[in-house]
Amino acid sequence: MDLSSFLQNVLNGLAIGSVYALFALGYTLIFSILGIINFAHGAVFTLGAYFTYTLISGQFENNGLLKGVNLFPNGSPLAGSAWGFALSALVGSVLAGLVAVVIERLAFRPMRSRGADPLLALVSSLGVALVIVNLIQILVGAESYSFPDGIYGDLPGALLFKLGKKTIIIRTVQVIIFGVSMVLLLILGLVIGRTRTGKALRAVAENPGTASLLGISVDRFIVITFFLAGLLGGLAGTLVGSSFGIAGPYFGVTYGLKGLAVIVLGGLGSIPGAVLGGLVIGLAEAFVPADYSAYNQAVAFALLFVILLVRPQGLLGKLQIQKV
Amino acid sequence: MPLLELNNLSVNYGAVQAVRDISLTVEAGEIVTLIGANGAGKTTTLRAISRMMKPRSGTLSFDGHDLLAVSADVVVRYGVAHSPEGRQVLARQSVADNLELGAFIRRDSAQIQADIRRMYERFPRLGERRGQLAGTLSGGEQQMLAIARALMSRPKLLLLDEPSLGLAPIIVLEIFGIIKELNAQGVTILLVEQNARLAMQSSHRTYVMEAGQITFSGPSAELANDERVLHAYLGG
Repeated sequence: MDLSSFLQNVLNGLAIGSVYALFALGYTLIFSILGIINFAHGAVFTLGAYFTYTLISGQFENNGLLKGVNLFPNGSPLAGSAWGFALSALVGSVLAGLVAVVIERLAFRPMRSRGADPLLALVSSLGVALVIVNLIQILVGAESYSFPDGIYGDLPGALLFKLGKKTIIIRTVQVIIFGVSMVLLLILGLVIGRTRTGKALRAVAENPGTASLLGISVDRFIVITFFLAGLLGGLAGTLVGSSFGIAGPYFGVTYGLKGLAVIVLGGLGSIPGAVLGGLVIGLAEAFVPADYSAYNQAVAFALLFVILLVRPQGLLGKLQIQKV
Repeated sequence: MPLLELNNLSVNYGAVQAVRDISLTVEAGEIVTLIGANGAGKTTTLRAISRMMKPRSGTLSFDGHDLLAVSADVVVRYGVAHSPEGRQVLARQSVADNLELGAFIRRDSAQIQADIRRMYERFPRLGERRGQLAGTLSGGEQQMLAIARALMSRPKLLLLDEPSLGLAPIIVLEIFGIIKELNAQGVTILLVEQNARLAMQSSHRTYVMEAGQITFSGPSAELANDERVLHAYLGG
């Protein structure tokens, strides 16, 4: 492999890997607070993409109850400019965050307040995920949707760099994905590490009982966590959807599984681990030769398997010490 | 009117009745201790007051507020700080962050920082270890951190659960010295202790609990000389 294709693969890997990280952080946040996986996270990812699509296109030509609906007969006011895309991505992600809060109310809180085994919330969240996916299908059908052309406005489609005789192509959407993801991860890291809210959040994660003795409302911080997780998941869905299109209501399932691989690889409950895990899996996939790209998924999980043999706690995870 | 008043309070732990029909008061300015054997229901009583647990029946009021109507995070806003059994410092956060979180209900950040400095003066070893993770502190240091953290909310009433547990005798004396000092500065204290002799020496009034009920109560100086209490709890 020559230098230019190596660099090209690295760039592609970082771009997709940063979305994996963004998405997987949603799992991590909820896991570190509640100690369980929110299986509806993939559905929130899907919803985020559909929400943003609705804002920026609003056309549902395929199937379902909304067949033939066009919210913006004269074209969405948000289409065609980079700021319009940014605004619709923001609103779409916030809506996804709100859905995550509703999911917490429906699938997690009733279990928690009855003192049920946390594992049961795993099943109820899976149930909510199925309901969401089916609702999407009923509303807009099972077909794929592509974001309209030119949603990034005047931004060039791609940047080209000459390296000797070869050209390295960086698609603008890749730059957006990588930039937005990294900035958000940085902000999140600072908020959790430095601010009063972040410290309180970590207190809830470490010991909810003690946190409540300090005046921290545990339920409120769980809601905040679900909102943040949903926001990140919805944004990841938006970025992937705007880049590759929305593959249908089951769009989030593959990402949901890959996100699990990412957090296990990085170390359960570790925020830097989720970021590193995402980038590692993204890079590994990018180096799969194009002829074998159908085996992308297999690569992610094979990598997971090998790394767990060596480091069962994941790359940045701490060994769990069983309390007796 | 007493600062804290429990009337016929009962608390269940699952199917077990851990506290039965107890009535207890704490007046502003007092140090009151609750002594009794392991499993007598002392910790459960404190956990009910701070609303870590839900009492089954009875009334519970503090400073004019009905504590049965609110959750734990509101109780501390009314002015009750609870330094729980087993210390329960936030092991994965620094000493300084533990203290800062102790002041979570306050918004006056300049005052909070000043209070943190005062805590470092009072507990110099916490000052030396301010950047260290709380989980790496010794037992005595963690106990001091738990008390200091509880004080950071500027409570009217401090609930202390077994502050001497597992500590060397010299540190225990130091901690009881601090308890008296705090009380002299106006903090009302409800103390749960296994070390009955020391607890009675350091307090104004004592309640004795046995199998979930209060069996004796009175001024500590009197109870400390009461034959029955002596016999049952002081091994004399």
